[in-house]
Amino acid sequence: MTVLAQVAEGATAGANTAEIVLFWIFAVVALGAGIAVISMRNIVHGALMLVLNFVAVAGLYLTLQSSFLAIIQLLVYAGAIMVLFLFVIMLLGVDRDDLLLATEVRTRVLAVAGGALLVGALLYAFVGPYTGDRSLCGVADQASASSSAVACVGLDAAYAENDGAGAAFLGGRMFTRFTYPFELAALLLTVATIGAVVLARRRDLEPRDEDEIDPDPVADPDAGFEQHQRPTDAGATEHDRVEESARSGVEHGGEG
Amino acid sequence: MAIGYYFALSALLFGIGFVGVLLRRNVIVLFMCIELMLNSVNLTLAAAARMWGDADGQVFVFFVIVVAAAEVVVGLALIVNLYFRRGTLDVDVPHLLRY
Repeated sequence: MTVLAQVAEGATAGANTAEIVLFWIFAVVALGAGIAVISMRNIVHGALMLVLNFVAVAGLYLTLQSSFLAIIQLLVYAGAIMVLFLFVIMLLGVDRDDLLLATEVRTRVLAVAGGALLVGALLYAFVGPYTGDRSLCGVADQASASSSAVACVGLDAAYAENDGAGAAFLGGRMFTRFTYPFELAALLLTVATIGAVVLARRRDLEPRDEDEIDPDPVADPDAGFEQHQRPTDAGATEHDRVEESARSGVEHGGEG
Repeated sequence: MAIGYYFALSALLFGIGFVGVLLRRNVIVLFMCIELMLNSVNLTLAAAARMWGDADGQVFVFFVIVVAAAEVVVGLALIVNLYFRRGTLDVDVPHLLRY
């Protein structure tokens, strides 16, 4: 309750209180959910924790004046992508037998040490110059603040001169400066869809080549049945072949 | 909120995903950790866009999300194929390109 009151008060006063409160809430949720993703033994629980992480990051986008990205994050990441993940997990039925951790102690120690080194380097390189008073976004009198930090410009001016915030801004940029990347993204999505269809097709339902003779018809009962039913090449017209391949692709029952 | 805190949070999320990729051997968990790292980079881009007052960083985030969606679609299809062929999701098992 006090937190909500603080958020409302900060929002009305124009100060940074709301942003600070929301940042800490979403940051803690995102970090906890991220740790849960890599430590959960059940994959389904890990995927649900990843959804929580994505929702928290969407909230962080809101505090960064990026409302359109927050919506996209919820729709695409937390919605579509994670539904796909959960669908595959449950399709494969592997939610219970996950004991696949790195077993060697040396591997674990090296992995954690490498991660700590990476995070330390990133913090050392990128965090220091941006945490001072001048890096506070939305503060009116930045000139009086200490000058050691890099100043935060904020997005208000960019939104104002491009007549619109969030979706309007992104839509304008997408169809003016970034037209070709936008078209390429559409092409990429089409290619990915076709690739997924080709990859996910079951191998035993592929239409067979008519001239190919199965070397071992006993191993595959469907193939033997099909070979038995196939008319000789001399008597078969093109229409018969097409009809037979279509029939054998669907099912083999009921054809005497 | 100073932008440096957003950078620090992104670095920590990236480190979590990195450690997850190194620790876990399940292909799906590895994939989820990669998503975690992509997401942290997106957060960095959005924070930097606000920092410098140039919202083109948000356009970058949009394209990263598009590419990530395409990657997930193809990658999950590959994982399904792998599981049907091998019967396991352990990344140490597939060591041959064919059969």
